[in-house]
Amino acid sequence: MTHTFRTSLLASELRERPVVGPDTVVLGIETSCDETAASLVMGGNDVLSSVVSSQIDLHAQYGGVVPEIASRAHLETLNPVIARAIVEAGIDESRIEAVAVTIGPGLIGALLVGVSAAKALSVAWNKPLVGVNHLEAHLYAAFIEDPSLELPLVVLLVSGGHTMLVEMVDHGRYRLLGQTVDDAAGEAFDKVARFLGLGYPGGPLIDHEATLGDPTAIRFPRAMLHDGLNFSFSGLKTSVVNHIRQHPDASTADVAASFQQAVVDVLVAKTVRAADQIGARGIVLGGGVSANSQLRTAFQQAGHDAGIRSFLPTMAMCTDNAAMIASAGWYRLRSDGPTSLSAPASPNLRLPLLGAG
Amino acid sequence: MGTTVGGARNGCPQGVVVLILGIETATEQISVAIGGHEGVIGLFEVARGRRHVEMLMPGVEFLCQQTDIEITEIGCIAVDVGPGLFTGMRVGLAAAKALAQALHLPMVGISSLDLLAFPLRYSDRLIAAVIDARRGELFYALYLQVPGGVQRVSELRAARCEDLTADLVARGGEVVCVGDGALRYRDEILDEVRVEFAEQFLSHPSAAPLVTLAHAKALREDWVNPWELQPMYLRKPDAQINWAVRDGGSPAVSRP
Ligand SMILES: [Zn+2]
Repeated sequence: MTHTFRTSLLASELRERPVVGPDTVVLGIETSCDETAASLVMGGNDVLSSVVSSQIDLHAQYGGVVPEIASRAHLETLNPVIARAIVEAGIDESRIEAVAVTIGPGLIGALLVGVSAAKALSVAWNKPLVGVNHLEAHLYAAFIEDPSLELPLVVLLVSGGHTMLVEMVDHGRYRLLGQTVDDAAGEAFDKVARFLGLGYPGGPLIDHEATLGDPTAIRFPRAMLHDGLNFSFSGLKTSVVNHIRQHPDASTADVAASFQQAVVDVLVAKTVRAADQIGARGIVLGGGVSANSQLRTAFQQAGHDAGIRSFLPTMAMCTDNAAMIASAGWYRLRSDGPTSLSAPASPNLRLPLLGAG
Repeated sequence: MGTTVGGARNGCPQGVVVLILGIETATEQISVAIGGHEGVIGLFEVARGRRHVEMLMPGVEFLCQQTDIEITEIGCIAVDVGPGLFTGMRVGLAAAKALAQALHLPMVGISSLDLLAFPLRYSDRLIAAVIDARRGELFYALYLQVPGGVQRVSELRAARCEDLTADLVARGGEVVCVGDGALRYRDEILDEVRVEFAEQFLSHPSAAPLVTLAHAKALREDWVNPWELQPMYLRKPDAQINWAVRDGGSPAVSRP
């Protein structure tokens, strides 16, 4: 019996590039922050199931996401979440043709749980792995709910970690139009909410408090409103703090409403201006902060006033979920093919931009 | 306390063949093994780099390829459940649990300290298995030989080096220390107690004893499903330790 030491390619490298079509089912996995999520999506936008297990309660007492607590919860929850996504999709797991997973940006320990599990599923099922950029996935959330959206689009991506205006030139082709020079919008909400003693997470709490107040009560600054497409929120946060120090009796509801109005005014004005500059076919909202009711109303109104189509994904699609990961994974698999099993998780991953190498 | 690791083997029951895939990532080393009734068939081990998520599944694929075993032939997934370095440990646990889920297999979880102690079972000294827990701490447990294996005679502990040496002094007798934590604190330990140190190549838990110990358990059907498998952290997350003493500053980050 002869024995040959094989130095050939590994099974994952030998696998033929899959055909990606309208009935290709992708399992998406998302563990970049404090939501453990899994979803089955067919053909890039037919959501068969989308399961999200939120850890907000675990982190609330700390006023933010605690990375080690998040990582532990992901490890504990991921298997049941994946199992439920498969059951709710109502198809046999053998129909899954690829495993898509968020590889960044996000908390490294949290990302690693999802990436490691996704790689294992890929090997166990002998199906390709697709690494997905979480920010790119947010851009795809809109397409899941309305595949008829026409390009180019301007997407306002607002969350606790990001505030950016992105031109979606084509699938996989993006241009950065503007971004925050300091705090992200969601971060400003969290900090102001903490200062007002409203608790965590700041976005929904300020949103609620603001409904009881007068948004014109205090004239907070609109930083850089007429100055390019970048954003700045740290000055606004300081103004809120100073105002309360000088007016200790100020109504919390009025402060919340006025602060929120200042954030929304800047976000919306710059989105419309960006759309005008590039001749966009529409404007789209994405990211966790887009669940803010005032922002949604103002965004829609501004689109209407400017005669441009505005699209607001549902709340579930704005916040972190795995359907957007599976969807972006489907497009990436079609354009770039599978991701190597030796790919790392990338906590500081950026959106792939045109002209940025 | 008093947990026996290994124990007298009854031999393989007629016709029962269980192939075990073992995954171990609790320290800087990553270790993968396949084994069963014929012992360890293949072992893939890299002790440098800490690139666990990059190396683990390519390592599993490579091992399957070289041993000519299809992943679907595996009958049980064994995994080191810690204690160890949290982030690396979770890479192995997440992969092992996902493999078990996808292949519909039972799991066996074994402690990293048991894996360190088991290869020293021919020594009649007290065995101290010690893992470097970083930030000035150690994870350790003490063992004594019993027929076919070792028996744990202490709790699994997260402690400082002086706690370990005090424990060893109190127990008296001859001691052999094993593990990366023992090597790191070699001088501090020797200042207090006369001990011998196991060879450096034994200083990381390995998937070879993992599949060996898991095989014995698998034959007794002493296993769990991936839902039930619990990691052994032995230490609370930082935020829970420090929250009481922090003022204003938050350990947390905003949600992306
Ligand atoms: Zn997000």
